[in-house]
Amino acid sequence: MIAAAAAVALLMTSCIGSSRTTQAQSAGSAGKGEVKGAIGVTWWGGDQRNRLTNAVADMFVKEHPGVTIDRQSADWAGYWTKLNVQAAGKSLPCVVQIQGRQLNDYTKNSVLIPLDPMIDSGAIDVSGIPKAVVDAGRGTDGKVYLVSYGVAYDAVGINTTVAQQAGVDVPAEGYNWDDFVSFLTKAQPKLPAGVAAANLQGGIPGVFLGWAQANGKKLFAKDGKLGFSKEDLTGYWNMWEKLRKANVTMPADKAAEELGPDQGFLATGQVMATEIPGNSLTAASNTLAGTNSSQSLTTIPYPSGPAGAGATALSANGFAIAKNCQNVPTAAAFINYFTNDPAAGKVFAADNGAPSNTKVLDAQLADASLSATKKHELDLYKQILAAKPPIIVFPPGYQATFEASFRRNYDEAAFGRMTVAQAVDKFFSEANAGLGQ
Amino acid sequence: MTSGTTPQQTLTKTSAGSEATPRQLRWRSRRARETIAAYVFLTPWILGMVLLTLGPMLYSLYLSFTRYNLLSDPKWVGFANFVQMFTADSRFLKSVGVTLVYVLVSVPLLLVVSMLLALLLNKSMRFLTAYRVLFYVPSLIGASVAIAALWRLIFGADGIINQVLAVVGIHHDSSWVGSPHDALTTLIILAVWAFGSMMIIFLAGVRQVPRELYEAAAIDGAGVFRKFFSVTLPILTPLIFFNTLMATIGAFQAFTGAYVVSGGTGGPVDSTLFYTLYLYQQGFAQLNMGYAAAMAWLLVIVLAAVTGFFFWTARFWVHYGDE
Amino acid sequence: MISTIQARAPRPIFGRKQSTNPIIRAVVRHALIICALVILLYPLVWMVAASFRPSNQIFTTLGLFSAHPTLANYTEGWGAGRLNFSRYFINSFLIAILSIVGNLISCSVTAYAFARLNFPGKKFLFAMLLGTMFLPFQVTLVPQYIMFNYLGWINTYLPLIVPHWFGVNAFFIFLMVQFIRSLPRELDDSARLDGCGHFRIFTRIIMPLALPAIGVVALFSFVWSWNDFLGPLLYLGRSDLWTVPLGLKAFLDSTGQSSYGGLFAMSTLSLAPIVGFFILAQRLLLEGIATTGLK
Repeated sequence: MIAAAAAVALLMTSCIGSSRTTQAQSAGSAGKGEVKGAIGVTWWGGDQRNRLTNAVADMFVKEHPGVTIDRQSADWAGYWTKLNVQAAGKSLPCVVQIQGRQLNDYTKNSVLIPLDPMIDSGAIDVSGIPKAVVDAGRGTDGKVYLVSYGVAYDAVGINTTVAQQAGVDVPAEGYNWDDFVSFLTKAQPKLPAGVAAANLQGGIPGVFLGWAQANGKKLFAKDGKLGFSKEDLTGYWNMWEKLRKANVTMPADKAAEELGPDQGFLATGQVMATEIPGNSLTAASNTLAGTNSSQSLTTIPYPSGPAGAGATALSANGFAIAKNCQNVPTAAAFINYFTNDPAAGKVFAADNGAPSNTKVLDAQLADASLSATKKHELDLYKQILAAKPPIIVFPPGYQATFEASFRRNYDEAAFGRMTVAQAVDKFFSEANAGLGQ
Repeated sequence: MTSGTTPQQTLTKTSAGSEATPRQLRWRSRRARETIAAYVFLTPWILGMVLLTLGPMLYSLYLSFTRYNLLSDPKWVGFANFVQMFTADSRFLKSVGVTLVYVLVSVPLLLVVSMLLALLLNKSMRFLTAYRVLFYVPSLIGASVAIAALWRLIFGADGIINQVLAVVGIHHDSSWVGSPHDALTTLIILAVWAFGSMMIIFLAGVRQVPRELYEAAAIDGAGVFRKFFSVTLPILTPLIFFNTLMATIGAFQAFTGAYVVSGGTGGPVDSTLFYTLYLYQQGFAQLNMGYAAAMAWLLVIVLAAVTGFFFWTARFWVHYGDE
Repeated sequence: MISTIQARAPRPIFGRKQSTNPIIRAVVRHALIICALVILLYPLVWMVAASFRPSNQIFTTLGLFSAHPTLANYTEGWGAGRLNFSRYFINSFLIAILSIVGNLISCSVTAYAFARLNFPGKKFLFAMLLGTMFLPFQVTLVPQYIMFNYLGWINTYLPLIVPHWFGVNAFFIFLMVQFIRSLPRELDDSARLDGCGHFRIFTRIIMPLALPAIGVVALFSFVWSWNDFLGPLLYLGRSDLWTVPLGLKAFLDSTGQSSYGGLFAMSTLSLAPIVGFFILAQRLLLEGIATTGLK
């Protein structure tokens, strides 16, 4: 029996070793070809996102008879598990949704195909997309692997009602980190019990990236390892520790139990200011309306610094094409449609970040039925875009190693289990071990 | 008895050339028939093993000696994964510690609670069916995504436990689920909260005990405790053994509770980093599937040893009906 | 089996005074049980109560009552998803029923062999049986997926059902082994005297007496299949194939707007079939055949 099973195991080893889909329409082709046949599309999201994405897919199928789309979706965490398992089996769907943060894990292992030929041939039109956004989809080799349809950004969310009651003004445009800290510290004594001035953000990677960019620190070196110094991080974490110990922020244990941004502290009225993804403003406002309908939220860009005004990195959400795709022309056409078609953009209603295509974005803004918070999300995006934000190329291993290790090691310091210096050391050794491989 | 053999005790030559009495022949052919019957009965399982189970298992054993990131092919590295686990990975050691605590605390609690309730719900009383259902329901939702929210509701900084404690004068302001030294406790409570399935197994076993035995014991003057220790417990030992072993294996492999409540991170600063959760992080998040496989096979060895130990002790306290 | 009972001088039956009124004892017992249940079930009761609140007011109170009860979570939740939740329920049922039948058949025949028959290699095979339980599923996910992909079974229910027909659930096999072993061997022997072969002993004697074990296997098989999330996640891509756990997960969206109202409402509803199944199965599993009939 063991012998038989060993034979099965060997069979599988050889299956994995060989590339099973050898007759894909050559990836070097310009992606132009007949738009017909079957493609698979996979994305992450909940119920609303699924509905909207499916609606757009239906529209595409209607416009291109002869095309069938096999749709697969999952929640955020399950999506990556499934994607990686499919990648291991070399059976990814043709069109894969992805972000800059994970992109290079996949490009490094040649799981996706470069999209430059399709852009050059016009199969995927990026002329309506700002250059910064197109660049956000490049891999470490400089080629474009992901075409973004929705651009997300991190912002600072502020409960304006609470701020007003505490007698502080929302920071003005162009404010810097010192202004931000004094904004929080001034408000804290006057806040009602149970409401903190800020969430404990020392362990949130995105906030650190914003601080580092504003202060001109290099994020990643050429080989993908950390580009900033231990002193930089120590200074940053010490800043947050000072705030935490002064009770300006949430205590560490409370911060550790927070659920996602749409149910987080800002959305339940427990903090005055915190970092949230820009496109969570609407969701958080909806939740807040249930707890305390008299309060309102707004978002402002991250604090600026010596190196830039409102330096917030853009995070591109978009589609890429898998290497084992057998139907590249149709996949390219789908991506093009999803990103650029005005009717598709209208249906999708900027559900996953601000539309990358400027015309689609403007059409959204011109739409009278747009909610006030959604309009603000899109306006803020335009404001950030106009400030020429830097483009971050995330090295392989970023999402898996950097983010988890950053949060965990800051928490070690915040819970008093390590000193800040020890936590920084630990983070550096863990991150450098996992990045850029 | 009357199997049609001739009454003479003549010796016959068997095909092997030795001589055997008809009785020995009957015995041997009965053994052969039993063996054939056994393997016929085992056919589905054997097929399942060969085709579905063993292949992936052996492949994962192979993977444990490789470096494999799922996106490209595995590369052989020998024992490097195992060496790294024990010498260069503090999170590994942490996950072992967390898991051991979980096993040693939750398994006895589970056994005691489910046994007590099985005995309680064995008596006939009104609403018995309703009670049985109600005690069972928590175990149905113990693995659901809703638990993340529910456990914060109870064990959060503003949660029910803290409110109740405040009523009796104890001021506990910190979050149980967000504090490193309390988070594991909330997961142990989750495990015990979902005791329903173990209770069902005990209940099914307890119902098997023949009533005459209790009656005989009562006639002999046995009270409640005596009845339990002399009648119920011995008969239940096969199921106690089963539940203890299964609970232990399950606790070593515990995953879903920690995954749901901590959001896949292993809780505040790895305080709920169960062994298989860390394994999952290594395999699927950090794309170190070879390392994850090595961790998995180390667990196999540990569980094999634990199981072997359990079976060895079983002969001292487990009474089967067929002996 | 019962050798531990020792003979004692019989006590007078009427000599002891009843120390407490039986009615009071019953009331106390019920009160204690209900107390325990309240503590145990409060999270679930809260969840059910919360499902009647508007989605953005769910976490505003730890209590049960709200000013604005609404059925919206149920109606919207049911209609959620590309197809509505009824489709997910049907899919889950289909997979569950087929899994249960497969498990019952394959696990009981395997258990009979291990519990009652002697054959060369028995110890080794039993060790292998237990051994299959030691390896965490996380590392066999990928090879199994590759295998099923090779067979073309992705986007079908086959990977979720077929393994159960081949006894992959060592837990159930071992459980039934323990149950069957607690049945006295004299039954088999007397049946053999009557000329029964192994198969007849299996179907006529052992299985009826192992009804509680069958009930437990059926119940747990249903629950595990119903609650299985990872298998459907990997193998069921198309949303018309989705099962209930996938549908429930879709209510939570860490990248957009979660709908806790829908989640709680549909979670409540998804408990109903299991509870119903339990109420039906519990007669089977707990009563079995009156064990006085050990003939």
